[in-house]
Amino acid sequence: MNQEQKVSPSPRRKPETSKIEQGTSSAQAIRNIAPRRSFLGLMIGLMTASIAGVMGVLFAGFSLFPAFKKLSVERDWTDVAPVDDIPDGEPVKRAVVISQDGGWGRFNTQQLVWIVKNGDHLVVYSAICPHLGCTINATDSGFICPCHGSAWARDGRKLGGPTPRGMDTLEHRVKDGLLQVRYRFFRQGVPDKHVIA
Amino acid sequence: MASLYDWIDERTGVKRISRAILDEPIRGGARFAYVFGSGLVFLFLLQAATGIFLTMYYVPSADHAHASVAYIQKVVPMGSIIRGLHSYGASAMIIILVAHLVQTYLFGAYKQRRELLWIVGIIMLLIVLGFAFTGYLLPWDQEAYFGTKVGTSVAGEVPVVGEVMQRILLGGHDLTTLTLSRFFVTHIFLLPLALLLLVVLHLYFFRRAGAAGPYHHRDDAKVEPFYPYQLFKDMLFIFIVFLVLLILAVKFPARLGPQADPTSDYLARPPWYFLPLFQLLKYFPGKLALIPTVGLPMVLFGLLFLLPFIDRRPERHPLRRPIAVSALALALGGSVALGALSKYQDATHPEFSAKLRAQEEEARAFMKASFVPQEIGRSIPVNPPIVKNPPVVGSRVLKIYFANCANCHGADAMGGPMAPALVKLAKHWRLTKSFLVDYLLGHTREPAPGSMPRFKQLMPEDREAIAEWLLALDKPIRAMEPEAPAVAAATPSAKAIEPKKRTTTLGGPRAIYRSHGAPLEQPAFPPPPAAFTAHCAFCHGPRGEGNIGPRLISITEKPNRRPEDLLKLLTDPRAYGLKDPMPARFPQLSDEDRRQIVEWLSKLK
Ligand code: FES
Repeated sequence: MNQEQKVSPSPRRKPETSKIEQGTSSAQAIRNIAPRRSFLGLMIGLMTASIAGVMGVLFAGFSLFPAFKKLSVERDWTDVAPVDDIPDGEPVKRAVVISQDGGWGRFNTQQLVWIVKNGDHLVVYSAICPHLGCTINATDSGFICPCHGSAWARDGRKLGGPTPRGMDTLEHRVKDGLLQVRYRFFRQGVPDKHVIA
Repeated sequence: MASLYDWIDERTGVKRISRAILDEPIRGGARFAYVFGSGLVFLFLLQAATGIFLTMYYVPSADHAHASVAYIQKVVPMGSIIRGLHSYGASAMIIILVAHLVQTYLFGAYKQRRELLWIVGIIMLLIVLGFAFTGYLLPWDQEAYFGTKVGTSVAGEVPVVGEVMQRILLGGHDLTTLTLSRFFVTHIFLLPLALLLLVVLHLYFFRRAGAAGPYHHRDDAKVEPFYPYQLFKDMLFIFIVFLVLLILAVKFPARLGPQADPTSDYLARPPWYFLPLFQLLKYFPGKLALIPTVGLPMVLFGLLFLLPFIDRRPERHPLRRPIAVSALALALGGSVALGALSKYQDATHPEFSAKLRAQEEEARAFMKASFVPQEIGRSIPVNPPIVKNPPVVGSRVLKIYFANCANCHGADAMGGPMAPALVKLAKHWRLTKSFLVDYLLGHTREPAPGSMPRFKQLMPEDREAIAEWLLALDKPIRAMEPEAPAVAAATPSAKAIEPKKRTTTLGGPRAIYRSHGAPLEQPAFPPPPAAFTAHCAFCHGPRGEGNIGPRLISITEKPNRRPEDLLKLLTDPRAYGLKDPMPARFPQLSDEDRRQIVEWLSKLK
């Protein structure tokens, strides 16, 4: 008869009463079966840990991969300008088109270079500051970086400021009257010039 | 260790919280019948985690979405598995959700003041379907594009509000990159947020009402705590679900077909969970189609929402609720039968089955093909421009091909953005020579706007030759050898020696090439109107520089091609003596389009 009431409690009856009863009896049950409980707990822990472990490996490989991808340095010559067009003496800024690996795409983007031509002698500098990567500007006498005030002479020698080294030269050649460079990125903030891409 | 735990507990009360969570009493003892709820929580977490990581590479733009998914699938380590888990996880979510619902229904666990608990659950079912619908489009492959196209059109059928609803869904009048953006945001921000809130609410209502327990009274005396008894069963279930998903993801990578091509005649089929509705659609022609697409789901969900109010008897035993249980059996059985019937009809229909198989074959071929990165910013060539279609010496057929077909079907006959691959096409469809000849002539079809034009101008023997060659074509036309462009490249650089002659004429790739040391200096070019890009650029080149169609620059200076002539010409090219493949007319152009095109052409000098 009591059973009947439990199955279909009348709406006015508070379910909390039965909950409290159950709470005590479950506490009772726990004390009786502690070993079994710890075994199940262990299994739960193992299963959770294995799922988390698998997902951890998957996510780590997935997300860290670009950081550890092997560099494919391409031997591309990029056209800059017809050599005869480059004025003598003063530095000239040109944009060169480079192809960058963007994972799902190859991005043809532009980077700046400084060209200094003196008769037959010609040097091409990357316009990226070796300090922290701002764009180098030309002055009447040489080059400066506006960000933290590094300065270089016309020949790329370091004159002052926080830059760790002189301006980075780029390999170049003249083919059929056309100046071409091999554009590279260099590690910033170190005294030696290291190609990074 | 223990003292650290105490230290944290003193500041957070974690012990009390975890006791409250873990010691929940399970009336009648732990059961496998109760595992589905926890399974769903797990799947939600799995979908969230894999989804978050997938967005690390995914790009929600019609131009790049497909390339980025292909990159995830083919290049990124573990990408295929993570995408597979996400894709199979979505299906698992629907299956387990239905199982959860069926269990609750059979156990009568929506009764006894659990109405809100039940209603929140039904809303979550709708949200999960929303997840499936929005997520389906994101890869932007053929299946995704055409499936979503059909899905959003169904929304448009709804009386009165349908059209507005469809436009809100699409973010405009057509399926575009805007649609992709809003589906993406809905899929990764709006729906997860809503679902998260509802999960919390659902759990709160659940704990407040207490577990309903079994419908019979045999175990009424028995009570077990949630931890470890129920949790162990839950975890075991979760573990098995995870293993199954992992095996599926590794063994059968989630499918990715070729990029969406709106001009193709893709045979769209919905994902499995929408198949029953799709099948029903076949039995209700015309306006009656509203019954299965709108009426039935509305009635069904209406009933589901109202269920706890309709069925108010306290009886919970399924055998003593014949009407409720047979209604469920009817709904489930009917859905399964309809889904199976739809599969069966597709499999036995000669044309559909062939087409579906061909599509599957295409998707498989795409999955196997190695990844090709997209070229971004191609207008600035990095290297001297490569002559795309080298004059092929010797083969007459190839000359015809390059002059007429290659622009759309690709230099390698592997297809382009506008036209399908021709390799193996004739073979696969067992086409005959006479069919192909007729197809070129346009006898067998009325060229629709934007479809392949007639090629009446070809000599009869040329048509025959092309048809024969197509029948035998079973591998791509050989790609160019890397050294070949060197010859072509020499030409522009040789010219560059005479700098005085450099003029910045428009058009030809050479001009762009020559000036690209400072590309910003290029003279302003009047942008072509959209209608030109959509309908004319295809043959006449994106800037009217000419392609298979003639060059249009300074066209208005030619006799009989004054702007007013051009306006008329666009409605009736034949009257101006134009021949195929210029289509007989462009019915899809509006008067305004024509005016814009002609206005632009007269500026094009
Ligand atoms: S970045 Fe150039 S000086 Fe610091």
